[in-house]
Amino acid sequence: MIDLAAIVSQVRRGMIPAHVYADLEIFAAERDRLFARTWVFLAHESEIPEPGDYVVRRVLADSFIVARDEAGLVRVMFNMCLHRGMQVCRAEMGNASHFRCPYHAWTYRNDGRLAGLPFHQEAYGGEDGFPRAGQSLLPAPSMGTYNGLIFISLDPGAPALSDYLGDFAFYLDFYTRQSPAGVELRGPQRWRVKANWKIGAENFAGDSYHTPHTHASVVDIGLFREPKASKRIQGALYQAGPGAGTTYKLPPAGNEHSGFADQLRYVGYPDAMIPVVAATWSDRQRALVADSGFMPSAATLFPNLSFVHNWPQIDDAGTVVPFISLRQWQPVSERETEVLSWFAVDAAAPGDFKRKSYQAYLMCFGSSGMFEQDDVENWVSITDMAAGSMARRLNLNSRMGLTSEGKPVKPPLAAFAGPGVAYQGFGEYGQRHWLSQWSDHLERDAR
Amino acid sequence: MTAARPLPYGDPAHLAAHQFLVEEAALLDAADYAGWLELLCEDIRYLMPVRVTTARGAGFDTLAGMGHFDEDLYALRKRVQRLATDHAWTEDPPSRTRHFVTNVRTFRDEGDDLQVESALLLFRSRGDTREADLISAGRTDLLRATADGLRLARREIIVDESVLRTQNLAVFL
Repeated sequence: MIDLAAIVSQVRRGMIPAHVYADLEIFAAERDRLFARTWVFLAHESEIPEPGDYVVRRVLADSFIVARDEAGLVRVMFNMCLHRGMQVCRAEMGNASHFRCPYHAWTYRNDGRLAGLPFHQEAYGGEDGFPRAGQSLLPAPSMGTYNGLIFISLDPGAPALSDYLGDFAFYLDFYTRQSPAGVELRGPQRWRVKANWKIGAENFAGDSYHTPHTHASVVDIGLFREPKASKRIQGALYQAGPGAGTTYKLPPAGNEHSGFADQLRYVGYPDAMIPVVAATWSDRQRALVADSGFMPSAATLFPNLSFVHNWPQIDDAGTVVPFISLRQWQPVSERETEVLSWFAVDAAAPGDFKRKSYQAYLMCFGSSGMFEQDDVENWVSITDMAAGSMARRLNLNSRMGLTSEGKPVKPPLAAFAGPGVAYQGFGEYGQRHWLSQWSDHLERDAR
Repeated sequence: MTAARPLPYGDPAHLAAHQFLVEEAALLDAADYAGWLELLCEDIRYLMPVRVTTARGAGFDTLAGMGHFDEDLYALRKRVQRLATDHAWTEDPPSRTRHFVTNVRTFRDEGDDLQVESALLLFRSRGDTREADLISAGRTDLLRATADGLRLARREIIVDESVLRTQNLAVFL
């Protein structure tokens, strides 16, 4: 038996018992204490634009149908037949007015209500034996949306999604609201890697320190305008609400009036988009980019949804084009994760920009992405090493940025326009912020 | 699927196309990526759509607007350049790969160009203890007749899994 209290107390001081990255008991605790309660991302509304459109997504082992019903409302339903428990919808996506269970043909409308079952009169004696009214596929216990992102919680008493997102919503807008039209998601690419799900989530929450070395190859080949990845140390790392992320420090803008447009142009946004972005973001959001000079890059929303924004050169002429990706680290087991990686782009962006941004994404992230390839190599190796006996004797040092007394090595940035706390330079602030939430959950009772 | 009938197996054009695919596989298995790039046309399109599980009758089984690959020559060159650096960790130590190419059917396209369908099974082993990966796919290639012989102008890879069971696509199919 593991001693959860002892593990959590080590994690809280920034020393992570290595076995937590390959431990069956920890995985069970995460399932029963963390994923049983927290808000988890399932899909984006742009994936199901028309009535009847649906996708099937999971929270660990639980399969859910995410459908747009005939009235245009988004519904999330547990994908298990009320009768014998068959998985009702076995496709990943499609369009349907009804879902019919293959076993005995119980049939549900795309809002989840039971529409009919064969031989209702003969077999059940009609409404007396089986009243159909109110019978419905189990709805997700809690559901909420933000910028079209659809989240559910398995806890019917979960706090409102907006309360949960808190200060991180400010940063979510950078990735998912560049115009009133919002973002459109394409994908996901799905692939399974022999890595623990926490490692990717932590990495995106604040590991700017790995970029110069892990991703040296993409700098070697001139995929980026900046000749050295070591400038990553100038970026700010922020922690806000349930999220944390990294930014890049941009070169100084032309002048104080053109700052915002200059910064967006520098990372490759076309002039057609910039006034729309400027009008969509708040003064404070613009100030993060223009006055503070930081452009959001990687981030993680606890527990397992990450974001990335970067701007490679997509041709020999050196055309810089930005891309955005959303990715989910879907736990399969303590040693395996399914990665779901979407390309995201402003729905109102010019077609030519969408095409180029997609190219930029494919080169960098996703199943074939040149960044992602080397990231996953690290995560698989950590998981492999964490599975043995010696890993139970090793606490991994995750204290970067802390003095021996647990104080920040450098004070937080005073002039940082965004909410939360931000530090400039390297430090595992974001990872500890993520792990602190993980610890909170593991200290609660199992549901 | 191509409606026309494939060339007879004894047709010199079919034999040339088949040999092209086998020679290409040998270059990839030898990790001679620079040599492989020389087989590609300047306007190459190298595509691998994301396959999805849909109901029979849905009318589609790939994602619209999202692939695992959608590459031009610039992107493929960058990938090859990366593998040649000292920092491409995911392929250092390198994979041991074997591209099994079979079920080759050749069709006449415009002029001397050929459309070639093949089945590919990629065996990929890394390290000493990891389980090996298998990727099964069908490919439809456009081979263009040039002064230097056949060159690959377009490849569409239809992978047979919707969820890939390989760590990444740091390999070519």
